[in-house]
Amino acid sequence: MGNYVLARLLQLLPVLFLISLIVFGIMHLLPGDPALLMLAGAEGGAISPERLAALRREMGLDDPLPLQFWNFVSGAVVGDLGTSIRFREPVLDMILDRLGSTVELAVAGLLCAMLIGIPLGLIAAVRQGGWIDAFCMSVSYLGASIPVYWLGLMLIFFFALTLGWFPSAGGGSLQALVLPALTLGLISAGLIARLVRSSMIEVLQEDYMRTGQAKGLPTRLLLWRHGLRNALIPVVTMMGLQFGGMLAGTVVTETVFSRPGVGRLIVNAIIAMDYPLVQGAVLFLAVLYVLVNLLVDILYAYLDPRIRYDS
Amino acid sequence: MTTGRLRNLAATLLLGTSIVAIGAGQARAGDLVIALPASIEPANLDYHVDPYTTTQLLNSFLTESLIVIAPDGSYAPALATSWEINEDATQYTFTLRDDVVFTDGTAFNAEAVKANFDRFMAPETASTQLAGVTGPLAEVEVVDEFTVRFHYDAPWVTFLDAARRAPMWSPSAFAEHTPQSFDRVLTGTGPFTLDNWVQNDHIRMVRADSYSGDWNGVAQISGPVGIDSVTFRFIGEPAVLGAVVASGEAHVAFQIPALSVEDYIDDDSVSLISMGQSGTGMTQVMNVRIPPLDNRNVRQALLYARDMEMINDLLYDGLYGASDGPLNNIHPCFWTGASDMYRPNPARAMELLDEAGWVDEGGPVRVARGVSGVADGTPLQLRWQTLHHSEIGEALQALYRQIGIDMSVQIVPGPVQLEEVQRRTFSLMYERLRSMDPVILDDKWNPAYDQPGGWAWTGYDNPELTALVSQLRTNPDPDSRCEVARQAQQIIMEEALLIPTLSQPSFIVVDNRVDGFQMGAEGSFFYLQDVTLN
Repeated sequence: MGNYVLARLLQLLPVLFLISLIVFGIMHLLPGDPALLMLAGAEGGAISPERLAALRREMGLDDPLPLQFWNFVSGAVVGDLGTSIRFREPVLDMILDRLGSTVELAVAGLLCAMLIGIPLGLIAAVRQGGWIDAFCMSVSYLGASIPVYWLGLMLIFFFALTLGWFPSAGGGSLQALVLPALTLGLISAGLIARLVRSSMIEVLQEDYMRTGQAKGLPTRLLLWRHGLRNALIPVVTMMGLQFGGMLAGTVVTETVFSRPGVGRLIVNAIIAMDYPLVQGAVLFLAVLYVLVNLLVDILYAYLDPRIRYDS
Repeated sequence: MTTGRLRNLAATLLLGTSIVAIGAGQARAGDLVIALPASIEPANLDYHVDPYTTTQLLNSFLTESLIVIAPDGSYAPALATSWEINEDATQYTFTLRDDVVFTDGTAFNAEAVKANFDRFMAPETASTQLAGVTGPLAEVEVVDEFTVRFHYDAPWVTFLDAARRAPMWSPSAFAEHTPQSFDRVLTGTGPFTLDNWVQNDHIRMVRADSYSGDWNGVAQISGPVGIDSVTFRFIGEPAVLGAVVASGEAHVAFQIPALSVEDYIDDDSVSLISMGQSGTGMTQVMNVRIPPLDNRNVRQALLYARDMEMINDLLYDGLYGASDGPLNNIHPCFWTGASDMYRPNPARAMELLDEAGWVDEGGPVRVARGVSGVADGTPLQLRWQTLHHSEIGEALQALYRQIGIDMSVQIVPGPVQLEEVQRRTFSLMYERLRSMDPVILDDKWNPAYDQPGGWAWTGYDNPELTALVSQLRTNPDPDSRCEVARQAQQIIMEEALLIPTLSQPSFIVVDNRVDGFQMGAEGSFFYLQDVTLN
C-alpha cells in the first residue's frame, strides 16, 4: 500500500505541472492589462504612463513569460502562491480564509446527494420494472440534467423569497447552508441514484442473495446487510469523483447564493484579471481534487478486502 | 428507539429548523440591514488605498472628511468649519473643529490632517484614486493647531472634491498598521465603528456612542445614531437583490435592477427612490480615426437615426434618465441645446449618409461609393461594444438597420474594452464617467489623455475644444467653468463625436420601518446619521 500511495503521489507532479501551465497560459492569453485595469478601476482621472509602467514593473508583468511562470511554480512548491493584485494580500491566506466555507458546502452537498440518491436508487432497484422504478429514475434524470444556476435561483425564489424559510444569500449559519447544499446535491443525487440502482440490481441477482432468501432471512436484513453493502462499493468511488466535482461546482453555487468561498473568489478574480489569485486558487482546488481521489482509492481498498494495490 | 419516536424526533427537528430559519431571515430591531450588489464590494476597505466609490461610501459611516457634499450638491462643513481659496486656486486654507476626537481617543487637529494627506500621497500606500484626485500637492502646512493650508505650485481647481473624498483616520491607529492591514481596524470620527468584515459576505458596523452628529453639516439629529448597528450584505444575484426587501431579509436594497422596480411601485410598505447620477451618462464614443466614423456626416446620421425616448419607454418603462449630450441632463453644467440638436429624423440621417458616399443600392445595407480610404462596394458596418446594457445597442441596431447600417452589438468585459481602446480598432465604445464636476470633459476630450489609462478615446483633436476643456483644470470660478463646459459640449455635439444614450439611475428600495434614510446629491451616496428603525 505504501508503494502505491508513493507512486500515486509521484504521478501528481506532472498533472499539477500541466494544470499550472494551462492556467498560467490561459490567464496570460486573455486580453487586458491587469496593471491598467487596476489603475483604471475607478472612474475619472487619467493615468500617467510613468505610473502605469511603475506598477507593471512592481507587479512583475514586464518579466518574460517563462520567468513569470517559473516564479509562480517555484513559489507554489514552497507554499507561496503570490500576492493578489487587487486585494494585496497573500493568495494562500485568502484561499485558506474561505476554504472552510467551500468544504462545508461541498460536504453538505455530498450528504444531500447521498441522502437523496441512495434511497432513490435502492427503491428503484427493489421495485425494478414497475411504476415506482420509472418514477424514481425520472426524478434522477431530472436532477442530473437541471442546470445548477437555474435550480439555485428556483430554490431561492420558492424557499427563501416566497416562503421565507431560509435566507436567500450569505453564509455563516446552518440555515444559510441548506439551499446551496440542496442545489449542489440534487445534481449528484440523480447520478448516484442511477448508479445505486444498476449496482443493486446486479447484486440482487447474485447467488448469495438467493441463498439468503431461501434461508428465510427477512427482506430488510437481506437488503441492508448483504445487498446494499456490496452495491455501495462502486458508489464510493463515484462519490469521491463527485466530491471533487462539487468543489468545482461551488464556483456557480457560491456565486448564486452570494456565499463567501473559494469558488466565488475565483469568479471575482477572473473578472478583475487578478492573475496570481486565479492561478493560485485553481491550482489549490486541483491539488485538493487529486488528493481527495487518492484518498478514495485508498478507502476503496479498506472497503473491499479483495482489492490489494501492492499485488 | 421505535420508528414512531424517530419520526416524531425528525418532525420536531424539521419544525425547529424552520422556526430558526424564519428568525434568521428577519433583522432584530435596531440592526439596519442594507443589501448591496456584490459587484461593488471593495477589495480594501480604506479609501486611502482602494479606488472605488463604494469604499468612499462605507468610509463615510466610519469617519468624516474635512467637508461633505450636502444633498443639494453644495459643499457643507464636516471636520472643517470653514475654508478659503486664494484667487488662483493654489492655496486652500481650512479652519478645523476644535472639539473632535477619533474613537481611539486621539485628538483631531491640523497635524492629524497633514498625517492623513501625507499617508495617502506616499508611494508606499499606492493610493490608486485619492492621490490622483488630490493631484500635484506641493505641501500641507500646519498653520496652527486647528488651521491647515494646502499648497499647489499651479492652479488645482478641484481640490475641494479631494477634500470631501479624503477620509480622516486616526494617525496613531494607522501608524501601527500597514496600508494593507489597516482596513480591518479603521479608526475614525464617524457615527459607527467597524465590527467585522467577512469578505464576499457582509460588513458590520456598530454605533459609536461617543459620536456627536453636530460635527457633520448633513446630520439633523445630534448625538449618536439611533440604531445599534448596520450590516451591509453583498448579494451576487441581481434578481435576489431586487427581492430581499420584499422578503424581509433587508431594510434597504441599493442599486436594484430596473426589472425589479415594478415589484415595488404599488407596494405601500416601502419607498422607492430613483436617483440620477451626474456625469456623462452612458455614452458610446466614436473612433474618428478610421472610416466610416472619420466622416462627420456619418456620425451625425447616427444621432439623427436614434430615438432614445422611445427606447427608454420600450426597455425601462421610461424609468431611466435622459442623457442628450456629453454631460447628462441632470449635470449642473449640462448644455440644454444638446436636447434639440438631433431630434429623431431618419430621413435626414439617410440624406447625410448619401452625401458621405454610403449609398442605398437596394440591398439591406448601404455600400461605399467613392468614400475616401474605403473600397467601393464595402458595406456600412459598425460595432457597438459595451460593458452592459447591450439591449440599448440592440434597440438602436434595429433603428440603424432601417437606414441601411449594419451594426453588431457585443458585450465585452472591462479588460477587453481597455485593450480595444489601446489598439484603437473599435468603432463605438461604451464610456461613462460619473462626477458633478465638469472637469470630466477634460478627461474625455483633451487629446493629452489619449494615452494608456486616459479617457480620451475618440482620437479627435481640435485646438479650440482642447483650449476650452483645459480651462476646466485651471479656472476656479464655478459659474465660468460651467459656461466653458457648455461651449465645449456644443462643439462636441456639432462634431457628433459620441452617441449619448440614457442615464442609469440608482434604484433604492427602503422599507417604511426605516426613518431618516437620506440620499446624497449623487446617486451612489446616502447618509445614515439620522436613521432610526420603527
